[in-house]
Amino acid sequence: MKMLARLFFVSAMYLLTTGPASAASGLPDWSGVWELVGGTLFDRTTAEPPNARAGDPGARERPPYNAEWETKYLENIARVAIDRFPDPITGCGVPVGFPRVMQVVDGYEFVVTPAQTWILTENGPNVLRIYTDGRGHLGEDDIWPTYTGDSVGHWEGDTLVFTTVGLRGEDGTIVDRTGAVLSDQSRGTTRLRKREDGMLEAVITIEDPVALTRPWTVTKTYRRLAGDVRIMDYACAENNRNPVDPATGRTLTLDADGKPIDVDFREDGGD
Amino acid sequence: MARHIWMGAALLGAIAFATPILAHHSFAMFDIRQEVTVSGTVREFQWTNPHSWLQLNVVRDAATVEFSIELGSPNTMSRRGWRRTTFKPGDRVTVIMNPMRDGSPGGALISAIDAQGNRLTLR
Repeated sequence: MKMLARLFFVSAMYLLTTGPASAASGLPDWSGVWELVGGTLFDRTTAEPPNARAGDPGARERPPYNAEWETKYLENIARVAIDRFPDPITGCGVPVGFPRVMQVVDGYEFVVTPAQTWILTENGPNVLRIYTDGRGHLGEDDIWPTYTGDSVGHWEGDTLVFTTVGLRGEDGTIVDRTGAVLSDQSRGTTRLRKREDGMLEAVITIEDPVALTRPWTVTKTYRRLAGDVRIMDYACAENNRNPVDPATGRTLTLDADGKPIDVDFREDGGD
Repeated sequence: MARHIWMGAALLGAIAFATPILAHHSFAMFDIRQEVTVSGTVREFQWTNPHSWLQLNVVRDAATVEFSIELGSPNTMSRRGWRRTTFKPGDRVTVIMNPMRDGSPGGALISAIDAQGNRLTLR
């Protein structure tokens, strides 16, 4: 009996000291490495054509844009098709920003602690910090536009609900590479939870009084990778053989010696 | 001449618009409506971020042309069964890829058959 009690005590201490956050704090266990399901086109339910991926020439989705921003979007779609859509992340060195941070390739980690939750993306890398210690958003005089914005949240049972404000607008708040962008008045409300089937689900509602006629709600899901999966370096500038030509905005392709192989940019003119 | 390097390539035609798993840059330079097969000898395999690259020497019309073939990040590739030793210099390998639109010697890899006959894919 004494032995059983000791075993129970040791087991309880183990869980409290080394187990997942949930054992000690009542917070959910979202440990592990996760991967986005589906491509990087934000609203796959409205994708045109239906299986389009972000970056395919002519691909689009249906954000509830007003007429002015629909026109901007059509212009951007045309730019994407001829590789003239300016995408800050192509140059390496800036965050991918919200809401795009919720849909990048490579691994994800969702780190839950009592005071903050961190969404870590291997690609980038990017960090979305969500403060859950009761603080509100930064005041108007204290905030400035950024790619990732300012996120605060709270727990509703096992669902993390957070809002994101303070975004840059159309030069930095790029939804995806179809060319969809948002204004600096955009804000997101995200409900993040682990579903019964073990998938993580983020239901993201974008509001933007400047660009959208109504809220735009999109669901992204993530699957947990099995086995000993570890997050590794993603170093965008390590061997970036796709620089942007500053004169034309075109993305180049370099050979192993660093010279463009694109016909229009070759020193020999392609002959 | 370089513009027409693809005339000798095996055109599989528009099968599916398989898009490269490239995250940080446009893939407008690749023709996603075409999938071509090339075989050659590995000169170098760059297992690097943000994307890996295969430098493949391909014989065309009795001349050797070096192709620059773009792959994904080593992170995701390793989770799809790839290793930094998958291609070694001197290996004879076959690659299926979306070619460069302008006919220059490059492309985005879709799948490959390594020197041991193993088929590897990125998607």
